[in-house]
Amino acid sequence: MKTYEIVIGLETHIQLNTASKIFCSCKADSWGAPPNTNICPVCSGLPGVLPVLNAEAVRKGALLAAAMHAEINPISYFDRKNYFYPDLPKGYQITQFDEPIGKGGYMDLRMPDGSERRVRIHKLHLEEDAGKTKIDRGERLVDFNRCGVPLVEMVTEPDLRSGEEAAQYLTQLRQLLRWIGVSEADMERGHLRCDANVSIREAGSSMLNTKTEIKNVNSIDAVRQAISEEAKRQIDAVEAGQRIESYTLDWDADTGTLRKMRSKETEADYRYFREPDLLPVVLTAAEIAAVQNSLPELPLARRARFIQDYQLSAYDAEILTSERGLSDYYEESVQLCGGAAKLVSNWMMNDLIRLMNDTGKSAAELRLRPADLAEIIQLVEGGKINPATGKSLLARVEAGAGKASQIVADEGLGLIADEDTLRQQIAAILEESPSEMQNFRAGKESLLGWFVGQVMRRTGGKADPKRTRELLLELLRQ
Amino acid sequence: MTPDYITPELFAKLVTLAALELTPEESEYLRTELNHQLAAVKELSEIKLAEGVQPSLHGLDCQGNPPRPDEWLPFPDSAAILALAPESNGEYFRVPDFRRGGEEAK
Amino acid sequence: MSSIQLSAYQIAQKVRAGLLSPLEVLEDHLKQIAAVDGVPGSLEPKTSDPAEESKVHAFIEVSADLARRQAEQVRARLERGEDPGLLAGVPVSIKDIFCVQGTTTTAASRILYNFRPPYTATTVERLAQAGALIIGKTNLDEFTYGSSSESSAFQPHPNNPWNTERVTGGSSGGSAASVAAREVPLSLGTDTGGSIRQPAAFCGVVGLKPTYGRTSRYGLIAFGSSLDCPGPLARDVRDAALMLQVLAGADPKDSTSAVAPVPDYLAALEEGVRGMRIGISPDYDHITYPDTLTGEMSIQAIQPEMNTSVRAVAEVLAQLGAEIVENVPMPNARHGIPAYFVISRVEAASNLHRFDGVKYGYRARKPALDLSELYRATRAEGFGLQPKLRILMGMYVSAAQHSAQYYQKALRVRSMIRSDFERAFDPNGAYRLDALLTPTTPTTAFRRGEVMGDSVLMQYSDQMTVAGNHAGIPAVSIPAGLDPQGLPIGVQFFGMDFREDIILRAAYAYEQATRDAEWRAVQPQALRGSEVKA
Repeated sequence: MKTYEIVIGLETHIQLNTASKIFCSCKADSWGAPPNTNICPVCSGLPGVLPVLNAEAVRKGALLAAAMHAEINPISYFDRKNYFYPDLPKGYQITQFDEPIGKGGYMDLRMPDGSERRVRIHKLHLEEDAGKTKIDRGERLVDFNRCGVPLVEMVTEPDLRSGEEAAQYLTQLRQLLRWIGVSEADMERGHLRCDANVSIREAGSSMLNTKTEIKNVNSIDAVRQAISEEAKRQIDAVEAGQRIESYTLDWDADTGTLRKMRSKETEADYRYFREPDLLPVVLTAAEIAAVQNSLPELPLARRARFIQDYQLSAYDAEILTSERGLSDYYEESVQLCGGAAKLVSNWMMNDLIRLMNDTGKSAAELRLRPADLAEIIQLVEGGKINPATGKSLLARVEAGAGKASQIVADEGLGLIADEDTLRQQIAAILEESPSEMQNFRAGKESLLGWFVGQVMRRTGGKADPKRTRELLLELLRQ
Repeated sequence: MTPDYITPELFAKLVTLAALELTPEESEYLRTELNHQLAAVKELSEIKLAEGVQPSLHGLDCQGNPPRPDEWLPFPDSAAILALAPESNGEYFRVPDFRRGGEEAK
Repeated sequence: MSSIQLSAYQIAQKVRAGLLSPLEVLEDHLKQIAAVDGVPGSLEPKTSDPAEESKVHAFIEVSADLARRQAEQVRARLERGEDPGLLAGVPVSIKDIFCVQGTTTTAASRILYNFRPPYTATTVERLAQAGALIIGKTNLDEFTYGSSSESSAFQPHPNNPWNTERVTGGSSGGSAASVAAREVPLSLGTDTGGSIRQPAAFCGVVGLKPTYGRTSRYGLIAFGSSLDCPGPLARDVRDAALMLQVLAGADPKDSTSAVAPVPDYLAALEEGVRGMRIGISPDYDHITYPDTLTGEMSIQAIQPEMNTSVRAVAEVLAQLGAEIVENVPMPNARHGIPAYFVISRVEAASNLHRFDGVKYGYRARKPALDLSELYRATRAEGFGLQPKLRILMGMYVSAAQHSAQYYQKALRVRSMIRSDFERAFDPNGAYRLDALLTPTTPTTAFRRGEVMGDSVLMQYSDQMTVAGNHAGIPAVSIPAGLDPQGLPIGVQFFGMDFREDIILRAAYAYEQATRDAEWRAVQPQALRGSEVKA
């Protein structure tokens, strides 16, 4: 049997997280709103009304273009894409056709095996979303709430080679979108939607064969699965001597199967033309520069810097740059801890992430700020409290109990730093345990641990373990 | 150069694309008029364009409004929009759809 | 004296001074409508009463209640000592292509027969805020697609008040007729290829197409979105200037509306034409018309009185101190209609996509429809022949395989049409014009039924006007006499971008200078007889 290579291009629709829709002042996100309540004459296609462009949608589109290393078009245009469908109330979609806001570009992906792959971006444009229809007993019900939601449609070149790579692309794209703050990128809520173009070819060939388009692959698992299924189907078909036809397929996530929607042989003519109701979108050189300057350090670069500057393991750097808020949290904490990068990393990897999971909050949402974390770490490191107290303080501060040092003071959680007090306690214990003392002095030095335990029990854990050990040895050896 | 000519077959295709249906009398009239109009626009293809002539979108350079700020201002009466529907169920616009799957999705 | 004899300017002056009640003004005009208008246009016209043949039929809907409420508001504002606005108490009719909350807005089409918009066009909003009384919606060609107003789905269509066997022109025919027949002093129309100026010329009134973007398109049901301009129709130039003053200005709801400052148009009127350079073009004394089968173009003469009127107007302006510049070349004027056949149709076809029976308006009543049957049946029954023709033409010329040949080419020809005007108006060029003077139409009002059905001939009735829409520049048509059959003749001034003040000045100077001309004393046929009562 021949070996085949899978050739995949992804078309993603990204919902921008603006406050209002792209061409009217309805709320951009209708999550939870009853049908047809977040609509106005503009987005529901009433006659006589006109679209008015949302400046923030343009800014976020341009920012995404910058993050994809695309060329930001100084003059881009909106066009009408004409077709009839009940979820498209104007009978045309306002989109960008031949002069989109971003051209070209790429995104570098790191693969689980550690390798990197560059996925080229073909085109990136702004457009409005359509509404939703559903079928109910022979009738189609139409909801226009989603009409006019600002989208960026981003199309890759056919640079991906497996379902796993496609899944990595989506995962890392999702991370990037949240990182630069242009989209919530919640796939369950449809903020990030994906269609996949799949074809196969003999390994080593560079030709592009007939592809099929899989619609509605709207989770990372679905992308991985649907592409693998479709590639397998195509390979089987070719092996059986059949021709691949240009289908559109629908991915049914419930059954994990592909269903043929229609043949794509006759491409519809959308009769694109410039939208006369809108002016060209002009971005001056200064505006483009401002967008590019506002682009934060991207995840891959930050990850590399963490490994380099903070000597983190690749694994720790990966986790700590998985989300921008978390990585900002980390850096701020390191700074407040005087550059103790490894120490802060340990606290965050072990305890802070657990706290986030327990509370369901992101790093940015925690009440426990980097200053609080740094304070707790320094209390522990300075021998003021023991590590267990430190860890319990994380949850207490998060729960709103106040500043860590204040809690320690109020509740007397601090270690016994007064040496006389500690000496008295130890002397009392030695007096109560003559036989253990004898055994120790006879050479059973492993009993030291037992003595430490006694001191801890007697002091309620507030004895500084290091100093306790030193004093015990001193007194036992007298 | 002769003008483009719309045959009855091509005309029928156009009618379908336009989501129309016509009586034979209407078809006859409209196809005749279309061909007359195409004869009238034949002139366009014969016009010699001066060097570098760009397409004009509005005639003049519009001194239009800049894009609007991103503010959510709800329309006060979305129910009035749904109330315009020839058919609704009080929540959704309703359209008949007895042959699901036969429709082009886009 | 009935207030129907007054201009809008006079009415507003008197109302603001407390000398005239806005309610009385309204009742005078409602009385005039009752006297001359006849039955309103409807989808199911009543059996033909021969008396209706000589009525004007300007209106589809008379919104007396709305106007009465507005008149009450004007009165209340006066009583509170507030200024009720520039158009206080002035009845205004609105072409039924503008959405007005509280009225049915039909676009003269069955497909919108019951459409009651929950919003109001910006222009209408501004009129109401200036104290105008929105007295009703006037008839037009279906979706504005025509030059005679005969293609309305709401019959009877408007008749020309000067001779009711003649058409009003169109598409703002009902608007022009309502002004000519003194049913209102002002009307709001739209001009996409000449739809304000041509019916204004046919009905002997003033019609102004402003610069594209000078007036907001929000709430105007679109025909050719890159060409459409709302503008005033009035009985004299001052009234047109007054109404433009209220309409003009940027609108945040229309991205293409201009932020350019709005001058004081009324003040500008008084400045006269001394030193003004007014051009006349040999390219506007004939039309170029295609053979309907071969497309071969040939030059055809226009009605001779059109050219003699242009000369006569030039003569008057020269006497007032203007400089007449002869032989201004406008070589691309002849391409106006072919380019318009393409651009306006592409935009129209797309703009009509939204009428599908799903969201509002007419839905076909056939049972057991599926989705595409619903679309087809609704659009087949809902649209008349002219919208269907425009949809088909627009779809053909914008198809992917034809777009370069037709649409893209037409957009470049549009640039060339514009460059003719830029050359003529260039302050450093050979002509340095302030205005270009041309006939408004090739003929005076034609007979009812004479052109209807011949879509090419009908379109060529806009050949003198359409270049202004391509170029985006302003133009005003004013009455300049009567032809031997007693029908009004219109001439127009084209001007520079946003310089409506200059062309209004020229128009006003001519109007004032000929105030006592004999032809101005002649009343439209529809008014003779009713005058006795007034």
